[in-house]
Amino acid sequence: MLLAASEAPLLARPHYAGGDPGPIVAALAQVPELLVVATPFLGAALGPSAIDWRTKEIVIVRTSALAGCRYCVQSHTVVALDAGLTKAEVSVLRGEAAAENCFSAPRERVLLHWIDAVAGGAGPIDATVRAALRRHWVDHEVVELTAVIGVTLMLNRFATALELPVATQTLDRLAAEGLA
Amino acid sequence: MTASTIRPAVADGRLPGRVWMYSNYHCNLACTYCLTESGPKAQRRELDPEAMIDIARQALELGFTDLGVTGGEIFLLSRMPEVLAELARSLPVVALTNGTLFSRRLLDEVQQLAELPVALQISLDRPDPDTNDAMRGPDNFAKVVAAIPRLVERGVTVRIATTVESIEDAELDRLCELHRGLGVPDADHVIRPIIARGRAVDHDLGVQADVPDLPAELTITADGAFWSPFGPTVHGGRLDTDLLITRTTRPLSVPAQALLGLVEQRPAGADSTLNIR
Ligand code: SF4
Repeated sequence: MLLAASEAPLLARPHYAGGDPGPIVAALAQVPELLVVATPFLGAALGPSAIDWRTKEIVIVRTSALAGCRYCVQSHTVVALDAGLTKAEVSVLRGEAAAENCFSAPRERVLLHWIDAVAGGAGPIDATVRAALRRHWVDHEVVELTAVIGVTLMLNRFATALELPVATQTLDRLAAEGLA
Repeated sequence: MTASTIRPAVADGRLPGRVWMYSNYHCNLACTYCLTESGPKAQRRELDPEAMIDIARQALELGFTDLGVTGGEIFLLSRMPEVLAELARSLPVVALTNGTLFSRRLLDEVQQLAELPVALQISLDRPDPDTNDAMRGPDNFAKVVAAIPRLVERGVTVRIATTVESIEDAELDRLCELHRGLGVPDADHVIRPIIARGRAVDHDLGVQADVPDLPAELTITADGAFWSPFGPTVHGGRLDTDLLITRTTRPLSVPAQALLGLVEQRPAGADSTLNIR
């Protein structure tokens, strides 16, 4: 399922130039025309943008935990720590502790409610949750945060269904942090 | 939009004009240098005849100038004579065959190709049965030299492809005498190297070939579109993906545009260096 560098199709070769591109790219390389549009899109959605790094990782870890995606939770636990989240905060996002214990900023509290409603539920979103979010976040932020939830969900199901392997270094770091 | 980019690229030589199709991967032979590990039990990976005809029409619309059909052994597909005839209504076709299946019935069926721009390219590697058949299997030589004059006398255009690691001048002279005697002129004899892909790797045969060595001929298979007919090879039962362009094959504009993009990224002068057309 995952293509090695020696098997990398022509359009995928640049992604292997710096070494192992990771399992998402190595899987998408099977369909090169998808890879070449997906990677810039994923990069724009999940990489540096107008939404700060900490907030993005809150969205990604929380969404991935709600979707039960081991690959994304483990991979992004490490990224979230690098983005400055505390172990306690990450534990909350992973569903291992209650939010009240550490997310005190109202802006982040409403965001967590929004993520839980969008990623954890089905059908229409409660108007009061949306209204609370919009009191703390401007329109383009609401749109981008919601897009990040959607993209994360897509990757969650992709990684889970294809049983993408978590990098050994990530597993080692999680063990060292006590977050395995 | 795409026709407007592909047509001039073909016209000014940036993109080769031929589109290849792998009609199937199975074969009645199992040659030691086979790129596709073809054989009687190989996975068939067939292209649907209607898809082939549609690809030919799209190739014409986009501005390509020629078609190639290869396999596997293409005449294991019973509809192949009519498919080739239909393809030739769009563009001239060269069709590669091992030349061993030309029964009276098949000869009658391919007679329709005599009136059309179709050439059958038949493999003949050596001027002697024992050396020829060592790599291609028993009776291959006898069947091929029997089939060629029968095709020629029916007016079908025949080309001969010789695939060898090396050949002495004297042996090549005898091979050329042989094909002339069978009714195939020098202009229709091509000699090409063995490429170290597929089964050739296991027999330690052939020369290495990557993008710079291979003409950028768009090649369509059941598994996707590839850079050159030497791209969609099989090794260890697995399709090689290193020369895969796109999985999408239709609309043909998708792989054609991707191929053109790759060609235009090549450094100047980095054109094919192996004589493997
Ligand atoms: S080289 Fe051609 S004839 Fe020989 S096994 Fe392969 S497909 Fe068949």
